[in-house]
Amino acid sequence: MTEKPLKEVRKLPPCRAACPAHVNVQAYVALIQRGKFNEAVEVIRRDLPFPAICGRVCFSPCEDACARVNLDQAVAIRALKRLVADIEREQGRVVAQPVPKKYSEKVAIIGAGPAGLTAAYELAKLGYPVTVFERMAEPGGMMRYCIPDFRLEKFVVANEIAYIKDLGVEIKTGVEFGKDITIESLKKDGYKAIFIAIGTQTGMKLNVPGEDLEGVINAVDFLRAIALGKKITVGERVAVIGGGNTAIDAARTAKKLGAKEVMILYRRSREEMPALPHEVELAEKDGIKFYFLVAPKQIIGENGRVKAVECLRMRLGEPDESGRRRPIPIAFSEHQYEVDMVIPALGQVVEESVLPPELLSKDKRGPPLQVDPLTLETNIPGVFAGGDVATGPASIIEAVGAGKRAAISIHRYLRDEDLRKDRDEEKIEETTWVKDWRLLEKKERRYEPPIEKPHLSFEEAKAYLEKLKRQARFEAFRCLGCGPCAECLASMELCEGDKAVVDESKCVGCNVCAVICPVGAVKKNEKGVAQVNEELCKGCGLCAARCPERAISMQKLSNEQILTMILTALER
Amino acid sequence: MSQDSHPPRIVCFMCNWAFCEEEMRIPYNVDVIRVMCIGRMDPALVLETFIKGFEGVMLVGCKPPDCHFVDGNLHAERAVKMLKKLLALAGLEPERLKLLLVAPLEERAFSHYAKEFSEEIWRLGNSPLKKDEFIANLTAAKEAASAFRLRVLLGREEELTEFMNAYGEKIPEEEFDALLDDVVKAEYIRYKIHYLTRIKPRSVKELAQILGLKPFAVLRHITNMRRKGMIALDRVEGYTPLYKALEVR
Ligand SMILES: Cc1cc2nc3c(=O)[nH]c(=O)nc-3n(C[C@H](O)[C@H](O)[C@H](O)COP(=O)(O)OP(=O)(O)OC[C@H]3O[C@@H](n4cnc5c(N)ncnc54)[C@H](O)[C@@H]3O)c2cc1C
Repeated sequence: MTEKPLKEVRKLPPCRAACPAHVNVQAYVALIQRGKFNEAVEVIRRDLPFPAICGRVCFSPCEDACARVNLDQAVAIRALKRLVADIEREQGRVVAQPVPKKYSEKVAIIGAGPAGLTAAYELAKLGYPVTVFERMAEPGGMMRYCIPDFRLEKFVVANEIAYIKDLGVEIKTGVEFGKDITIESLKKDGYKAIFIAIGTQTGMKLNVPGEDLEGVINAVDFLRAIALGKKITVGERVAVIGGGNTAIDAARTAKKLGAKEVMILYRRSREEMPALPHEVELAEKDGIKFYFLVAPKQIIGENGRVKAVECLRMRLGEPDESGRRRPIPIAFSEHQYEVDMVIPALGQVVEESVLPPELLSKDKRGPPLQVDPLTLETNIPGVFAGGDVATGPASIIEAVGAGKRAAISIHRYLRDEDLRKDRDEEKIEETTWVKDWRLLEKKERRYEPPIEKPHLSFEEAKAYLEKLKRQARFEAFRCLGCGPCAECLASMELCEGDKAVVDESKCVGCNVCAVICPVGAVKKNEKGVAQVNEELCKGCGLCAARCPERAISMQKLSNEQILTMILTALER
Repeated sequence: MSQDSHPPRIVCFMCNWAFCEEEMRIPYNVDVIRVMCIGRMDPALVLETFIKGFEGVMLVGCKPPDCHFVDGNLHAERAVKMLKKLLALAGLEPERLKLLLVAPLEERAFSHYAKEFSEEIWRLGNSPLKKDEFIANLTAAKEAASAFRLRVLLGREEELTEFMNAYGEKIPEEEFDALLDDVVKAEYIRYKIHYLTRIKPRSVKELAQILGLKPFAVLRHITNMRRKGMIALDRVEGYTPLYKALEVR
């Protein structure tokens, strides 16, 4: 890995700073610009073992942070990631070289969701023997068992997990923590560190009468049953209760499985829905109906089966601790929806029964597990925890970030190093160099990569792929490249990062450099001479080309260097 | 068409971000030198390329709004405008220098542009200048482009024409152009005088003859140059003072 450790590059562009896994967005987008698609995937994989998965279902905090929103819209980062990952996979599976074991300390990871798998990936890269214990038959966690196939195909998940196994990670499935293994048994088996990443598997209950009627099934249980290939008869009329992405996934799945009518009942209004607007739109396209400001009071049955949900209307009061307005029931507003299936989708909670009680928080309102947010240490030495289990239901990319942090902590713990000192996570600072937005031109985002692949002949497919690549490159060129120089192609050795240096004895303080510098990296200092801020300098060389006294030169591609290249060309 | 049967030697300075390597077919008479941004080309280096013997120089950068450094491409445009004035003064066809700004995904291949330019240079043929004259003129042009006055003007152009100067005025583009014309011409002549008097001490009359200028115009430049420490009186032969160049740092 040739990339500089974060320590030295502290200033990150907004996209990378916003990403919990700090994926080097600017670098891979720059590679896409240059048509280097496979190299782009390699760059993504340095920070994230799931390029194709995140290319499909990541919530993309990078796009929310993208500096381009000041101008028009964010760069289509997620879609670009998906395209490069798909192109790579379709060339045949990339097999990783196993990493030689450098250390002898065995590490146990519990739970093969994104958090656990990422920790395993990072620790294997460092040279540790790692074993992942997973209760289900297949690894992948929610990515494998809850996110429906039409958003994230199972073979995509399997493919990216296979890459992690290639590195030498052992995954043992069908092993349940709390039953087959415990912290004590793992320690006895010689594991020197443990990472608990069991996520939140239990769907929250509605806590209304009638919840145990036949035809009531929790969203995660429903989705999991389908992922397991179980026969599930969906009703004709289905009510999904909740406003998050899980609700949307359950509703769309029910519809796709043949339900005539699917409705989502949510107790607040559309604005407060935690589901992504894009997902809501897709659900509406699928014909799913939304009823807002309604909450179930009871489920009414007939012969033990669901017949209807009775709801109360709600109004919104003052904002609660989550910042959203609290729903308040309106008296005597009972009304019924005739349904034969009810899917509560209110979120998930930690399965506390499998965990040692000393790990659980005393305060039931806060996060379920007591962990140090920076180091992910629990109150048992050598035991770490992260991902949904520590934060409550969140996202894949946050779980990946937690996995990376856990790997660093475990490495330091096993090497007897200070867990807190100089953590890269604490040094990240966001920066964008754009001095004057008025100088930039709008280029609207038009990129809409196709989701379905058309059926094409071999020849047509080739032309189609070329078209896709061209569109992607076009979109990639919308990136402003706001990070410092080392952020982009330098990391692939496609170009050498350069820096301007000032010869103070020659500088007369005319200020031409400061005016010319596009990133505001050159300023006159208190001595009245030009000074280059190395963290900001992108090495374009404009200042060196214009300095009236030629007091500025470039560290790598100096004028002398260019002259040598000219002479070499001449002698050719 | 030139008498020579060999195609002209051409250097193309190219922005790192323009055209992908894989997609480039480079004609064998062309050499590509990659730089971070085309605005990074020091004007003096471009003239040096001609002095070294290349017959055409092409600068390739990115079309607005795709410059990775916001307006490096516009800086290149300004430099090329000045360089073309200098080339014309030096007696070399300004068409030998070309700036090409391309879109990120250019429809046409690099080889197309390179060939087109090669043919243009081939049509121009050999330099119209004799060898000594060529070296003298281009060296003067290069030195003018390396000196403070032109560089500061170039460096300030954007500020002066697009924003405000220190007095809160914005200079119209044409006015700036006329100013640039004057400064380029004056600087070129001074550095030519400097070059000539470096070889041997010369009189105003002799210099006027070589430069095709009126003696009083030469004298005015010499007065200015003496003030800046570029030139000094060497000796007086009869009644004629001879001037000799001083080393400029
Ligand atoms: C329906 C749905 C849709 C979602 N959609 C998205 C989305 O589009 N984008 C996004 O970013 N996030 C999405 N999420 C959230 C995301 O899937 C989770 O935040 C993420 O998977 C959490 O990762 P994790 O590793 O912490 O836990 P999990 O993915 O839950 O993995 C935990 C693993 O531990 C295993 N395990 C549990 N208990 C034990 C035990 N006792 N012994 C052994 N193994 C055990 C589980 O079987 C599981 O494999 C969605 C979640 C759901 C439910």
